[in-house]
Amino acid sequence: MRHDELHDAKLHDLAKRLGAGAAERLDVERTAQMVLARLRAEPRVSVVARLWMQPAWLKIAALLVLLLGSGVVARRPWRAGAPGTATVIPVGEDLTGLSADQLREAIHSLDQPLAEEGAGSVDAGLEGLSADELRALLHALES
Amino acid sequence: MPQAEPVAAVPTDAALIAAWQGGDEQAAAELVRRHARALARFLASAGAPEADLDDLVQETFIRAFRAVGRFRGQCRFRTWLLTIGGNVLKDAGRRAKRATVVPLGEDVRATDGDPHERAVAGEAEGRLLEGLRRLPRMQREVFLLRAQQGFEYEEIAAALGTSPGAARVHYHHAVKRLKEHLQ
Repeated sequence: MRHDELHDAKLHDLAKRLGAGAAERLDVERTAQMVLARLRAEPRVSVVARLWMQPAWLKIAALLVLLLGSGVVARRPWRAGAPGTATVIPVGEDLTGLSADQLREAIHSLDQPLAEEGAGSVDAGLEGLSADELRALLHALES
Repeated sequence: MPQAEPVAAVPTDAALIAAWQGGDEQAAAELVRRHARALARFLASAGAPEADLDDLVQETFIRAFRAVGRFRGQCRFRTWLLTIGGNVLKDAGRRAKRATVVPLGEDVRATDGDPHERAVAGEAEGRLLEGLRRLPRMQREVFLLRAQQGFEYEEIAAALGTSPGAARVHYHHAVKRLKEHLQ
């Protein structure tokens, strides 16, 4: 037998002896009865409850994903449903296939949001204007 | 001439598992009787304090019985059970760390029990335990499954979700480091 094999055999022998005393002292019958009692007493944990028992970081990550997800969902219909929203032409789209009329329509649709944005921006920051400035603004809007 | 009594057929683990899934509690109890000591030996060698051994064995069986529907017979029930035991021990270690009352693995040898028995357990066993504690978990479990439980690499690989070649490499790394530690 080679020296290495002898050493391996000794290692295996040692490993087989590890924990043998502790295992012998285990009351197997009592353990079996305890396991049965716990199986009867503790109902199966639901998937939701099991998820909730995960470490705290997982809960925080899940909460963040939920918040972000619900934010995205909440924003989507508002944007899609906003009145007067201009048609968006993808930047990379090839325009060479469009006719003159289609191009005019596209240019018109690009102009639209700028005009609307200009009007819409009146709502923002009015509290900073003086009475005279407000009057002038109202007058400009009416004309 | 007296006739030999017919030997009652011993149900296989697979038969006991099927019986448990069908609601037979005694089948579960029989599986505990069959595998509890091997599991306890594995857990004790992997660093479980003897004071916690009973709880860890129970917890491992509870988890195994609850998850037995996912056991597809890819390896023996005992191998599968021991890998669940490894997870239970890891979770217990995490809880102990969080509680910071008694850090797990400070001394994996039993501090209670018969002092004489502890004395004769021998220095080599103590050093091996110490060496095992220092190994990465995968190397420790592969070594114990191979050297202590006598499983083949294919069996170990199936239970741990790795390849037989990788299991062999883990084993050889473990042996090399343990030998260095023992010398």
